[in-house]
Amino acid sequence: MNGRPERFSAQPNELLVERLRDGLALTGTKVGCDTGQCGSCVVRLDGRSVKSCLILTVAAAGSEVATIEGVTTPGGELTGLQEALRQEHGTQCGFCTPGMVMALGELVDNTAEREAPTEPEIREWLTGNLCRCTGYHSVVRGVQRACSAARGEASAEHADAAVSGQEG
Amino acid sequence: MTAVTGETPLQEAPAAATPAAATTTAATTTVDPPPQDPPLQGSGLLGQPLDSREDPQLLRGEAVYVADIDLPGTAHMAILGSPVAHAKILSIETKAAEQLPGVLKVATAADFTDVMPLPCIWIPGGVESHFPPHPYGLPGARPVLTGDTVRHVGDPIAVVVAETPRQAAAALAAIAVEYEPLPVVTRADAALAEGAPQLHEAVPGNLNAYWTCGDKDRTDAAIAEAEVTVELDLVNQRTINSPIEPRGAVGDYNAATGEYTLYASTQGPHNHRFLLSALVLGIPFNKLRVVAPTVGGSFGTKGYLYPDMPLVLLLSKALGRPVKWVDTRTGLMNSTVQGRDHRQHVVLAGTRDGRITAVRATSYANLGAYPSTIGPGVATALMGRSISGMYDIDAAFCEVYAAFTNTVSLGAQRGSGRAEAAFLMERLVDRYAGEIGMDPAAVRRKNLVPKEKFPYDNGLGWTYDSGDYQLNFDRAMELSQYVEMPARKAEARARGKRLGVGIASYVAICGVGPSTRMSKEGMLGGTWESANIRVHPTGEVTVTVGSASTGQSHGTVFAQVAADELGIDPAQVQVYEGDTQKAPYGQGTYGSRSYSMAAPAIALTARKIKAKLVKAGAVFLGVPEDKVVYEGGKVHEEGNEENAKTFAELAMAMWYGWGLPPEIEPALDETTHFDPPDFNYPFGTHVAVVEIDELTGETEVVAYTAVDDAGNIGNPKIVLGQIEGSILHGLGQALMEHAEYDEDGLLVSRDLNHYALPRAADAPFYTLGKTTTPSPHNPLGAKGAGEIATVPPAAAVVNAVVDALSDLGVLHIDMPVTPEKVWRRLRGESQ
Repeated sequence: MNGRPERFSAQPNELLVERLRDGLALTGTKVGCDTGQCGSCVVRLDGRSVKSCLILTVAAAGSEVATIEGVTTPGGELTGLQEALRQEHGTQCGFCTPGMVMALGELVDNTAEREAPTEPEIREWLTGNLCRCTGYHSVVRGVQRACSAARGEASAEHADAAVSGQEG
Repeated sequence: MTAVTGETPLQEAPAAATPAAATTTAATTTVDPPPQDPPLQGSGLLGQPLDSREDPQLLRGEAVYVADIDLPGTAHMAILGSPVAHAKILSIETKAAEQLPGVLKVATAADFTDVMPLPCIWIPGGVESHFPPHPYGLPGARPVLTGDTVRHVGDPIAVVVAETPRQAAAALAAIAVEYEPLPVVTRADAALAEGAPQLHEAVPGNLNAYWTCGDKDRTDAAIAEAEVTVELDLVNQRTINSPIEPRGAVGDYNAATGEYTLYASTQGPHNHRFLLSALVLGIPFNKLRVVAPTVGGSFGTKGYLYPDMPLVLLLSKALGRPVKWVDTRTGLMNSTVQGRDHRQHVVLAGTRDGRITAVRATSYANLGAYPSTIGPGVATALMGRSISGMYDIDAAFCEVYAAFTNTVSLGAQRGSGRAEAAFLMERLVDRYAGEIGMDPAAVRRKNLVPKEKFPYDNGLGWTYDSGDYQLNFDRAMELSQYVEMPARKAEARARGKRLGVGIASYVAICGVGPSTRMSKEGMLGGTWESANIRVHPTGEVTVTVGSASTGQSHGTVFAQVAADELGIDPAQVQVYEGDTQKAPYGQGTYGSRSYSMAAPAIALTARKIKAKLVKAGAVFLGVPEDKVVYEGGKVHEEGNEENAKTFAELAMAMWYGWGLPPEIEPALDETTHFDPPDFNYPFGTHVAVVEIDELTGETEVVAYTAVDDAGNIGNPKIVLGQIEGSILHGLGQALMEHAEYDEDGLLVSRDLNHYALPRAADAPFYTLGKTTTPSPHNPLGAKGAGEIATVPPAAAVVNAVVDALSDLGVLHIDMPVTPEKVWRRLRGESQ
């Protein structure tokens, strides 16, 4: 769990999100819909993003689980993706945000080795996460910015876009 | 599309302003530089796109929402909602549930007989209203738990408190309730028909209120004499706001002090404190503290009183432990207020050459089973007084029949009332333009309220404060490249697609409000807003406000306002809100009011601080008061900047209070209660371009242009996000969202598998612009912004779809515009 071993017994019907929130006090992972639709509960399981309300705790035994709490230290430095989302204000009420960071993290992490995702690809990737506040535009801009940074590109283009965005 | 007529200036609009990217589909928003902005106030901080200081903790998952609050010893509550829409309760058997593991208490209505019902505080003003009663003679609302009759699916009947959430939920299944089914009605017009099922004894014929505004005789006469009249029957379907965070509440009773604390996902903690203490629990106001932690979206729904709020408090007292309740998504959909839901017959009259002479609307509003906290006002005044939109119309009249039905209570929804009004008016304008063979843009342009007519009385009860509607409208035409549309239609046709263009303009009443004026609308309570500024001895500043953010970055923007006015670094300013024990009174965040209500309160308070520092500065600088200048965060002697004291020095000096004359109190701690002279009226024009697939009937929004005017904007980065999100919310209603009840009153769209919300791939390309007309009704020149862009999109999209299908004789299509509906129309089936 976030790089630390955790040992516990779980009921067979316990959901991973219940263990995270109620058992381990990792409340950064949110519950928004109970049916796997909203993506607020996304965590990384062996590097892949999964909805923790759709997986039993026992099914995660022996796997590496990463939650939002494992991404940064409290009050510490933001990751490239988080920093890019901050600059683009890709969050409003913030409830869907941890799930988005976990889901998009997989996309951004993998971008260094291959071509940067196109905008439709980013939107497709985001389809598993619902946000009611932002309309997703600022999130998409944040991912574009983060991917540029991850690929070591000068992010001048996106910086320009951000400046014009501020005129709204 | 018909030819642009000679009167319009559109052909003169420069076409070069929009980037070529506007013709592509999936791309991020572009924003044009504002054509003309007035000078910024204060030190120039306002208007700057400062980063949101709330964002880092949200991005780290560190913000605490209600579900994350874990007080020692907490027990967990679950609510049993009715599975049927209308029935008499014959018996409730709870013994089996009480004996289950972990169960601490099972309670029904019989346990809460001394608790008053949850009141409704916005009754339609000036008319006779019928409500279920409240002991204070108020228009009462719903009981905390239902004892005799259930009136909608989800109507709360019983609660269980257990050691764990799972135990509480499991015990619900062991409560046996015997129902005697009653007939069900879910439509407002059907509920008013002879012989309809009756919901409340105190409400004859299910009619809560018959409310009107405008001049009926004049309007009827204008319609009778008109050269042209057009009519439409419209359904503004019921939708669900769907904040991603479901509601939650934690009650904590302290037996030692007799004090109650409620942590709740609320957008109005002070208001909830007042209503719950005085009007529901019957406890002293000063024994209840309400705390709003981080709130995960609201869009209007979290300003309402719900049964869970008193229940967690009462059960905490009964059990001697904190009691926590967190809703499920299905629970939210069956209990949290829903929005829109009007069935309307609307008429517009005009001349053959495009001058609108009258508009009349008859609306059947579905209030649901009980009057929610302010739902009846939303369904009447907020909608009806807005129907004439941006147009200068000689005669207008609106009547609303507000009815009770076996559905979830009606409440606010992003853009509430105003979106329903814009929908009916903007559909009518297009229908009228089609009837007289004139371009819809030209008709609009011809009827806009001219600049020189402000303040403008719209004849329906609103007096628009300020605006340049022509400038705004022309900007939207220019940015959307409206003159290019005929060519784009031909190009789309060649690809086998039908392209349609829809315009929607709007005026949105915001800045609620002038308290006396709201009292005339039937609002039971003041609607002012307040702010306190406390300057600490070290020069740091704390701002507290009565407002409460549900994701609007108040901590960032309000610090900006105070820093701007005081001429200091915003990093010196900390903002607190949301806790009734710490924040000054206020009414909360709703109706896009925070920036035009709380921010002016902050600015006015900062001015009090400055005025005091000028007085004290005269003492400290040893010069007469009229020679003291406050500038750039310090005071100095006029003409002598050497003789000066900085803000930090002044703060410390005021903390010590040495040498101050008796007329100057030591310390710097000021409060303002801001009650504006009138509302403010943001406005705008949106243009949707859709393409319809002939084979599938699918509608794709391929371009979307929005030009909104929210007066002076404090932080454009924050407002940009609100505009982008608001548009998608409106598009959701147009294309996919529908709270659908079956004939038994069962909410079919009971979870997110059955209720469609727009996803990232559904968001079209936006071209955004703005105009800026300051409001004269507050010292910042601000107008509401947060939800205004939700007002026109549904009308713009449906106008575009009807435009695309107009050659088939389609005059209207109901929302949501699903592929199936369009497919049927393409094949000649009627609605």
